Amino acid sequence: MSPKRIRLLIWKEFTQLRRDPLLIRLLLLMPVLQLILFGYVVAVDVRNLSTAVVDLDHSSTSRALESAFSGSGYFTITQHVASEDDLRPLLDRGTVKVALVIPEGTEARLTRGETAPIGIIVDGSDSQISAVGSGYASQIVAQFNTQRRDDLGIQVAAPSVDARVRVMFNPTLDPVNTMIPGLIAAIMMISLMVIMSQAVVKERESGTLEQMFVTPIKATEYLIGKLTPYAALATAQMLLVAAGGLFWFKVPFNGSIWVVLLGLFLFMFTCLGLGLLISLVSRTRHQAQQAVMFIMIPTMVLSGFIFPIASMPALIQPLTNLIPLTFALEVLRGAFVKGSDLAALAPQMLALVGFGVVIFGAAIVATRRRISE
Amino acid sequence: MRQALIRIGAIVRKEFRHLGRDPRMLLAVVITPVIQLLLFAYAISFDVDHVATIVIDFDKSPASQRYLQQYEGSPFFQVVAHGSSLADVDDAFDHNTARVAIVIPSGFARTLASDAAAQVSVLIDGSEPNAAKISQAYSVALNQLYGQQLTRDWADAQGLDLSSFGLLQPQIRTWYNPERRSSDFLIPGLMVVIIAIVTVQQTAVTLVRERDLGTQEQLEVSPMRRIELMVGKLLPWTLIAFLDVALITGLGRTLFNVPLRGDFWALAVGAALFVFASLGMGLLISAIAPTMDTANIMALLIAFLPSFLLSGFAFALDQIPAFLQWISYAFPARYMVTISRGVFLKGAGFAELWPEMVSLVVYALVMLAISSVLYGRRSRA
Repeated sequence: MSPKRIRLLIWKEFTQLRRDPLLIRLLLLMPVLQLILFGYVVAVDVRNLSTAVVDLDHSSTSRALESAFSGSGYFTITQHVASEDDLRPLLDRGTVKVALVIPEGTEARLTRGETAPIGIIVDGSDSQISAVGSGYASQIVAQFNTQRRDDLGIQVAAPSVDARVRVMFNPTLDPVNTMIPGLIAAIMMISLMVIMSQAVVKERESGTLEQMFVTPIKATEYLIGKLTPYAALATAQMLLVAAGGLFWFKVPFNGSIWVVLLGLFLFMFTCLGLGLLISLVSRTRHQAQQAVMFIMIPTMVLSGFIFPIASMPALIQPLTNLIPLTFALEVLRGAFVKGSDLAALAPQMLALVGFGVVIFGAAIVATRRRISE
Repeated sequence: MRQALIRIGAIVRKEFRHLGRDPRMLLAVVITPVIQLLLFAYAISFDVDHVATIVIDFDKSPASQRYLQQYEGSPFFQVVAHGSSLADVDDAFDHNTARVAIVIPSGFARTLASDAAAQVSVLIDGSEPNAAKISQAYSVALNQLYGQQLTRDWADAQGLDLSSFGLLQPQIRTWYNPERRSSDFLIPGLMVVIIAIVTVQQTAVTLVRERDLGTQEQLEVSPMRRIELMVGKLLPWTLIAFLDVALITGLGRTLFNVPLRGDFWALAVGAALFVFASLGMGLLISAIAPTMDTANIMALLIAFLPSFLLSGFAFALDQIPAFLQWISYAFPARYMVTISRGVFLKGAGFAELWPEMVSLVVYALVMLAISSVLYGRRSRA
């Protein structure tokens, strides 16, 4: 193994990258763009849902209920309409997402001691809004009932349950706090798979790969020289995302930096291996790009990066264990959000070692075979 | 005119032959959408129910059992474990085996029997914020309801008349998708994402490839006019995009029973306009990008990310910061998601959706105009 040859190859890769200034700019733009999109769009905190009110009761109760909804911060009352029929066009156009219908005689029913139904309509064409909206609405109505009972001063001596609900690890419940740690792992995977596979296939397409192999360079040297620049590039992108997350989005970091680094280091082998494997099976860059998409989309969907694994059907959930990113996410989120230590994350780390050995090993063996052919 | 048609036909045949030579490519543009559809429709959901819950009952009394039955009976919580100490909570949260923990301290029954407020702790793992938020809301509601039930029982036992003690009962109705099936919600939007990927990326790349391989010059010295070349290049991808639309609609209707409540023709016209707008975008990228790598990454940035994240396909657009909402208007996917979801779920037609259609027409025209100007400049240079 000659360090000089490796250095030359690395230098060659960087020179090639520099030739395409637009590409370099795009590579640096990509993490920033993803930081903005994932931080602001995917990790959006659902609140201030635009709400229409149909108050057919016109009583102090209905007004109190309305202000309980608007005062919660989850619902913003934007419209008052006269009848339920008027709701249809509003929801059809998407101007409101939630509607509160207080039927006539609500207050009268309550004073008679009966149970008075009120209608809450949520727009089911948006599943996040319908899930969150109906949960909040139930909570507000339950609190309203308790408040009303307290105001009436009935239960002075009645037994009751005083539930202290406490959120652990992420008390503000800001989704960005789990999104950014995930993005660090995701960006490494995207970067290594997309750019590296393209780079190797490009050499094959332009025929310079054969030229490379008639030189005295050895397979190991070729691999190290080829992998190092892209690993460095991906590291730069990850640092950019981590800095943006910590300083701009103010994501708290509760764990150990060594756990994070170890997790990323292990995961990097899987990503490098995938990039290499893709470049081996594809003859053209077009094919490589399709192969990347083919792997990327299931990874994004099933890893729990965007869509929670707990919400997936029981049949699908075991499949998520076949996706390496799943474990990288658990390590990063565990360390960032929960402050988990190495002992708690040992199974995930072992899984990453396993994926690394299998995928990177297979890629190395396949590349060597190709080179020696 | 006839000559022009023959020349366009020749290019179309050439493009299809390229595709035929590369069966993996063909597989990618036809099979990948189907796999994506199955994956998204089966796997994605924001619905939170059966949240894994661990219960620690230090009181072990009939009263605490009754309280816990509220959780057992709720479709929202699923009691997966009974712990014996608080360390079990840490353990369950660390290993992600439970997301909610209910802790009943000893003396629960005694406090209730003395007509006082008994304390209970509900601990929620906040590392999955969406699920945590909904768990929080439901546990508050459940405890309030149980408190009211206790009060009623107490009043009955005391022989008190609680005539003024009525209750409001929320009746939640989910319009357009009463069973809250996530496939109903996702498939109409998914169609848009898939078409955007196929059309923008493929057109951008096929045109740049020609330049990369140097065959662009050969085509330019042929009697072919530029417009004919464009039409011939784009026609195959238009056909494939339509095939994908039909495939997704068909699978959605038959396999997933997604309702098609509105005007089918509105959907067809909308899809056609969206395909043209996306092709325009692909043309624009191919006019700007010097190499295939750049075209690839630009297509990923311009086609995939915005149509995935800024279209409203899975993430509510009215919740995002205003500057991103403005940006989302600059990409055609948002209009098409509105059209698609309107037709599939809301039973809409041309009358409701014409503003989106007009936007798409304008969008497609602007894109085509800009890219033909850029192409003109490039070939003169």
